[in-house]
Amino acid sequence: MPAAWICLLSPLAAALLITVAGNRISRRGAGYVATLSVAVSFAAAVVSFVALLGEEPDERYHPSTLWSWLTAGQLDFGLRIVVDPLSVFMMLVVSGVGALIVAYSIGYMDGDDEERRYFAYMALFVFSMLMLVQGGNLLILLVGWGLVGLSSYLLIGFWHERPAAIAAAKKAFVMNAIGDATMALALFLLIQRAGSLNFETVFSQADSIGGSWTMNLIALGLLGGAVAKSAQLPLHTWLPDAMEGPTPVSALIHAATMVTAGVYLIVRTAPLFEQAPRVLELSAGLGAITLILAGLIALVQTDIKRVIAYSTMSQIGYMFLAAGLGAYANAMFHLMTHAFFKALLFMAAGLVIHGLAGEQDVRRMGGLRSLMPYTFGAFTVGALALAGMPPFSGFFSKDSILAAALDHGWYGEVLWVAGMIGTFLTGLYAFRLLFLVFWGEPSPFVREHLMVGSHEHAREGHLMHDGHETHEHAGEGPFSMTATVGALTLLAAVGGFIQFAGVWTAVSDWLEPVAPPLVEATGMQELVSSVVAVLLGLAGIGVAWLLYGARTSEVPRLGWAQRLLEHKFYFDAAYDAAFYRPAVFAATAIGRFVERPLVFGSVRELSQGMRGLGLETRRLQTGLVRTYALAIAASLAVVMIVFVAVR
Amino acid sequence: MRGPDVVWYLCVAGFLFCTGALGVLIRRSPLIVLLSLELMLNGSNLALIAFSRYYAQGNGQIFALTVMAVAASEVVVGLGLIVSIARRQLDLDVDKLSTLRG
Amino acid sequence: MIIASVANVLVWAIWVLAAFACLGTGVAVISFSNPFYSALSLIGNLASLAVMYLLLSAEFVAAAQVLVYAGAVMVMFLFVTAYLGGRVDAPWAGGPSWQAVAAIAASAALFVEVVVVIGLKTSGRLSHEHETDAAFGRPYEIGRLFLTDHLLAFEITSIVLLIAAVGGVILGSHSREAPTAGVQQ
Repeated sequence: MPAAWICLLSPLAAALLITVAGNRISRRGAGYVATLSVAVSFAAAVVSFVALLGEEPDERYHPSTLWSWLTAGQLDFGLRIVVDPLSVFMMLVVSGVGALIVAYSIGYMDGDDEERRYFAYMALFVFSMLMLVQGGNLLILLVGWGLVGLSSYLLIGFWHERPAAIAAAKKAFVMNAIGDATMALALFLLIQRAGSLNFETVFSQADSIGGSWTMNLIALGLLGGAVAKSAQLPLHTWLPDAMEGPTPVSALIHAATMVTAGVYLIVRTAPLFEQAPRVLELSAGLGAITLILAGLIALVQTDIKRVIAYSTMSQIGYMFLAAGLGAYANAMFHLMTHAFFKALLFMAAGLVIHGLAGEQDVRRMGGLRSLMPYTFGAFTVGALALAGMPPFSGFFSKDSILAAALDHGWYGEVLWVAGMIGTFLTGLYAFRLLFLVFWGEPSPFVREHLMVGSHEHAREGHLMHDGHETHEHAGEGPFSMTATVGALTLLAAVGGFIQFAGVWTAVSDWLEPVAPPLVEATGMQELVSSVVAVLLGLAGIGVAWLLYGARTSEVPRLGWAQRLLEHKFYFDAAYDAAFYRPAVFAATAIGRFVERPLVFGSVRELSQGMRGLGLETRRLQTGLVRTYALAIAASLAVVMIVFVAVR
Repeated sequence: MRGPDVVWYLCVAGFLFCTGALGVLIRRSPLIVLLSLELMLNGSNLALIAFSRYYAQGNGQIFALTVMAVAASEVVVGLGLIVSIARRQLDLDVDKLSTLRG
Repeated sequence: MIIASVANVLVWAIWVLAAFACLGTGVAVISFSNPFYSALSLIGNLASLAVMYLLLSAEFVAAAQVLVYAGAVMVMFLFVTAYLGGRVDAPWAGGPSWQAVAAIAASAALFVEVVVVIGLKTSGRLSHEHETDAAFGRPYEIGRLFLTDHLLAFEITSIVLLIAAVGGVILGSHSREAPTAGVQQ
């Protein structure tokens, strides 16, 4: 399918072009090239989609190999992509939302000195993500997996003069590497048992690959990778720190696409996971715990982006919950709607940050409703979608997940309760954010610093460079930013209508051939779940109103709870003590006791010994001819004795 | 014609050789050193000729003639060197000519 | 018989004379402090050696020895000694003290070894002299050997002589720059 190859390779071509062109291309031009390439990707994805539509559901599976990449004995791995409903679904989401966000970046990153590098990285990321979702065998998927990790590292640490950004990038990369390692181990097992990594080969033999131990190990390995990439417990601590990157990066990578790769993996390798049902339940459980934990932590965050980051973590918990229960289509549907409204929230937050010249602390904000109405509207739509309020997109996707949970027995009911608690928390923290930022009277900070219309300002995240830019735009931000936000607002608002549980099920039908669901909710369960969820969401919004909107009540002061949440349940401290400190200690100890004496010491000893030897040998060089002649004569005498004795 | 055995000639040759070696090792003037070197060469020549006579083959004499030619060449170069050293007003003393001291 | 024994005695007498002259002049070469006297002693040494070559039926070599060695090489030596003014030095002085002792020891050891080797190892094997033919030692024989069996040596020797000649010219030519005041050690 050439369209799929165009979709995959177009962003790569853009990245290479921008890299090679260097200074010959203008900064704005790099942005246009990148956006255009992702738009081309989207167009190609649409073409593939339309092509698939025209076929029978059973025939919608087209692998395509460019060439044989790795051959070793009987193993043969090709550069293989596959076009099937699941991959096309992801292609559309990734390239569509990606195009919008890259376009947004043109306005957001305008004036940055290293804009070209940014767009090259963004194009590289889109290529990597597409490779991940289009991969036709697990090896290509792993390649894409690693490349998105790399792009994430490069983009988080984009403003590399900031030590916080560098540290965050490293943290993200290392934690992702843990997941990569477990995934690689799982793939090794698969290669050993199944002899191939092609999807159809592996999945068709899924029940005969090995016993429960093998399947559990494989599934655990894959789950490890998914957990690391999607920032679920216990490998979640890197995501909030990743907010050091530019806001569009947070929107694209850490909300809409990369962090959802874990969900995609589980859905894609569902036949393998189904052979290890305990691991599936484990992933659902992890998702549930994460969603509650993240929701709680989000309640006390003061950085606008970090609230949204924890919200992402929480929502992906929902997706893991769904995938773990076997409600694959629901998980993917929520993935799609989440991409819309989460990207929207990030981009709207970006508009706020842009307007406030880089300020991200919500305690200084307030009252932007009257000053930035467009942004306020967009943000409200996003928040409502996030909280699952009808008729916005989140409502359709989230509730079907919770309803499906009821079909799984007592464990599913526990998860259902967890999900409902999460819904309450979601409404609470989302609207806490909304009210803190937008409601009430404009705060003193805002009055002083807000700049709409034409203005000059320093960039977000940068320390004050000399050279502020002046740029003109009517309204709250440059056109590229406001237009794309508007597009996403629309999607977040109406995007959910393609599937309404039980009534019309476009998504489920579409994904049925690839990942048939294990659980199916009845109409009554759907109704109950929806009603309870909406009520809880409204309750959350109401509490947020009371605390932060109308300010009629005070936030309850529970010192211990506050501290627990502010320290993010002490996960960072625990990892620091358990892994980082011992590693540093071991490294210093080895350096002092092993490396310095053995390596340096021995080298130095050696060199000094050589020196000494040289000094001694120097004594032979008297420069006197007679001594040399004497040496010859003496050795001759000795040699003669030897000859005489031997012969 | 009888005469001493070849062994006697060899003893004389050996004595000449060792005397020449002693001269090379002991004397300080390069000129004398060269002379001692000639002495050594002559010693070996004598041995060669003696053996040539013993085995009644002419090869030893050929070798001795070649040695003579080489000795002559060596003397040419050696004396040239000594003359150059003298021209530079350096001491003609092998102990003093030790710039190659390490 | 009588003639044979008289001839034998004569040969022995000449041999003894020549041998002692050889050894004596050899010691004299290394003993004199005046290089002129050393060179003259060496001429005497060469002459006695030529006598011994004659006793060994190597006539051509004896002639070459006198002509080339004594006639050319030693003349060169004497020229240079005359040019240098025959500086006199104390023969045994100078250098590390152990050097003299070690030198004497080394050369003594060498001599003893030579004698021992000759005495021990070759006793019995070096007593059967081979008969020589009439052409032995004659120029004809030498020439024939040079041009047939040892042609390569012959050619290489000529090259060596050429190199020596060139070297001599170079070393002897006056240097362009003024001779330095000498680097005294």
